[in-house]
Amino acid sequence: MGKRSMWSFKFTTASLVLIPTAVGINYIGKFFASLLKLPLWLDSIGTMLSSMMAGPIVGAISGAINNIIYGLTADPISLVYAITSVAIGLTVGILAYIGWFKSWSMAVVSGLVVGLIAAIVSTPLNVIFWGGQTGNIWGDSVFAFLSAREIPIWIASFADEIIVDVPDKIATVLISYGIYKGLPRQLTSIYRNDDEIKEL
Amino acid sequence: MRTLSLYQEGDSIIHKIDPITKIIFVLITILIPIIMGTLNSAFAFLIISLTLVIIAGVIKKVLPIVGFTSIILVTVIIIQGLYYFNNRTPFFAIGTVVFYKEGLLYALEIILRIYSIINSVSLLMFTTKPSDLVEALVKKGLSPRIGYVFSSVLQIIPQMMSTVDTIIDAQRSRGMEVEGSFSRRIRAFIPLIGPAVISSLIDTKERAMALEVRAFNSRYKKTFLNEGTTFKYADVMQVSLISILIISIVLRFVH
Amino acid sequence: MFFMKIITVEHLKYKYPLSDKLALDDISFEIEQGEFIGIIGQNGAGKSTLCQALVGLVPNFYKGSYGGTVLVNGINVSKTEVSEVASHVGLVFQNPFNQITGSKLTVYEEVAFGLENLGLPVEEMKRRIDNVLNLLGLYEFRDKNPFDLSGGQMQRLAIAGIIAMQPEVIVLDEPTSQLDPQGSEEVFRVVQRLSEQGMTIVMAEHKMEKIAAYSDRVMLLHDGKLIDFDIPKKVFSREDIEEYGVITPVYTRICKNLDIKDENGFYPITIDEAHERLEKIL
Ligand SMILES: Nc1ncnc2c1ncn2[C@@H]1O[C@H](COP(=O)(O)OP(=O)(O)OP(=O)(O)O)[C@@H](O)[C@H]1O
Ligand SMILES: [Mg+2]
Repeated sequence: MGKRSMWSFKFTTASLVLIPTAVGINYIGKFFASLLKLPLWLDSIGTMLSSMMAGPIVGAISGAINNIIYGLTADPISLVYAITSVAIGLTVGILAYIGWFKSWSMAVVSGLVVGLIAAIVSTPLNVIFWGGQTGNIWGDSVFAFLSAREIPIWIASFADEIIVDVPDKIATVLISYGIYKGLPRQLTSIYRNDDEIKEL
Repeated sequence: MRTLSLYQEGDSIIHKIDPITKIIFVLITILIPIIMGTLNSAFAFLIISLTLVIIAGVIKKVLPIVGFTSIILVTVIIIQGLYYFNNRTPFFAIGTVVFYKEGLLYALEIILRIYSIINSVSLLMFTTKPSDLVEALVKKGLSPRIGYVFSSVLQIIPQMMSTVDTIIDAQRSRGMEVEGSFSRRIRAFIPLIGPAVISSLIDTKERAMALEVRAFNSRYKKTFLNEGTTFKYADVMQVSLISILIISIVLRFVH
Repeated sequence: MFFMKIITVEHLKYKYPLSDKLALDDISFEIEQGEFIGIIGQNGAGKSTLCQALVGLVPNFYKGSYGGTVLVNGINVSKTEVSEVASHVGLVFQNPFNQITGSKLTVYEEVAFGLENLGLPVEEMKRRIDNVLNLLGLYEFRDKNPFDLSGGQMQRLAIAGIIAMQPEVIVLDEPTSQLDPQGSEEVFRVVQRLSEQGMTIVMAEHKMEKIAAYSDRVMLLHDGKLIDFDIPKKVFSREDIEEYGVITPVYTRICKNLDIKDENGFYPITIDEAHERLEKIL
């Protein structure tokens, strides 16, 4: 039985319905992170879960819609960062597909990769829209420190973003992976829309 | 009913403009100041979108969003004023700390751009009914299935958030602590979100099937119960807005 | 009298993906137009799977392995798209929340969802919506947000959304299992009304008193197999019924303990029958 390519996806109703739920999970994560005053965002758990369950494209769309909705209902600037969310959805989906989520230690490495990619995508946006800052106290302190030493803005901004993103994405990947492992097979199997109906 | 929508009823001229025109307006207020890269263009767009917000009568709603962003913008002024790489001309000093003109101007440009984005997006979100927005996009060729995702997400999120209250109560009564050391708080996170997340994911299966039995995947051309109002000047306005965008790109490359 | 067969199932077999056990094992039966059919059996017997096979979600939603045929109104369900089957047979699920589309802001628009998908003209839509809202006692709520309804109202709305598509058959899979007693009563009442109007109804249900009261015939499932398909009295009077994890209606149990049977040798299954029998004896 040949494995279907991760890109050849059919927009099944099941994967479509996963998207609003994924966005809702992102909101729940964000809400509890601030309730517990955690120094992390934890606002992409749903995006990552949808990638793990239904592949990179569904994950990317979940990410995009997440930021569009958040941008249109709370914080307009987050519209711009839809691009970062798309990158997160794609990366997690691809890593899941090539089997990087096999163990907790692999999940940590995956989190690192996702964090780096998120930082790479966000840095130009930070530079264009915020002059390089992220709005996070710790990250921005580093940004100020590096800028004061005449380190180029791109590097300073990247460092700022890394400090913010990498720990957050590692934590988010670990949480999502833990939840994913706890999902019943009867649920995850409906997203494997590769199978043909077999004759009995 | 809780909904995420920020739509405010109103009968201003802005409320009557069709959603697509407003979306194009949002896009050009984000893009043109970046393409032009000048203080004047950023200032012009801020004035335009601010004027429109006032005409629409939603300025009071926009202020909190502006306020929220201003905290970060203060740090932008400080950091750029002190350390912007082009800083040459001292502007003023507080003790031994010198603020430079170039950095402050750059910070000003950032602030103008951010405020004009906030204003133009607010214009869209406060004066457009989400269902009209989605229907307009679907009529323009957005897949009705993606349209469904947009309109359902606005109602499903508040539904999911309402389960959150139940969880908090349940966990509190079991002695969960939301205060305490960092490691204690992070360990509280999983039992808080785990059950809500898993049950909402399990629900997606029945939700998907319930849509399918209501012909969600139908091949027929969809019809609409609400025929939506049309805006007379939509075409003219859209063409003008897009022309402005093209002109600004041309200007940028001519210079 | 001429009865038209509305559902014909022949040698239906089904296995879910990643499962090695048949969830439906060689099931055959026929249902006539206007009948009220109850489906009973213990947890995991295959009731939901059978309900979903009647609308084509099994196999088309899950895939997996499938054999045999399901014909509804002459349509071969497994070979037809679910959206097309929807105009012939509708399915109501357990959880009312999950059946609200979430994309509509009023009860009225919510009912329109399926009709818009079918591409009906607006006039026709409005006619049908008014009709079903009245039939299901929801007309007064037409401008309310669906999520603001009570559980029983929400489940009736789910039924309305299905009925508006004018299927010949409606299948209900434990439609009251998530409702409080009052909500359940509301739902059973509208189901009964639909039945009186001549609609063919198939209902999986754990509440045996309801099955006994409404069903023309009862289907007993166990381990994916069709054990019995007969009038409720006969099924509930089986000596081995408890081996299938079915707890018979309370009146049946009482009469069984007292060994009270009717002239055909069956135990009474409703309060009225039990009452009548007891009066004859005393
Ligand atoms: N998606 C699935 N994947 C694999 N197996 C499944 C799936 N859904 C159900 N099953 C299995 O198929 C069998 C029949 O399940 P079904 O849900 O039809 O039973 P049921 O009679 O409706 O039970 P209940 O009274 O609990 O609703 C069970 O053994 C169940 O574990
Ligand atoms: Mg069931």
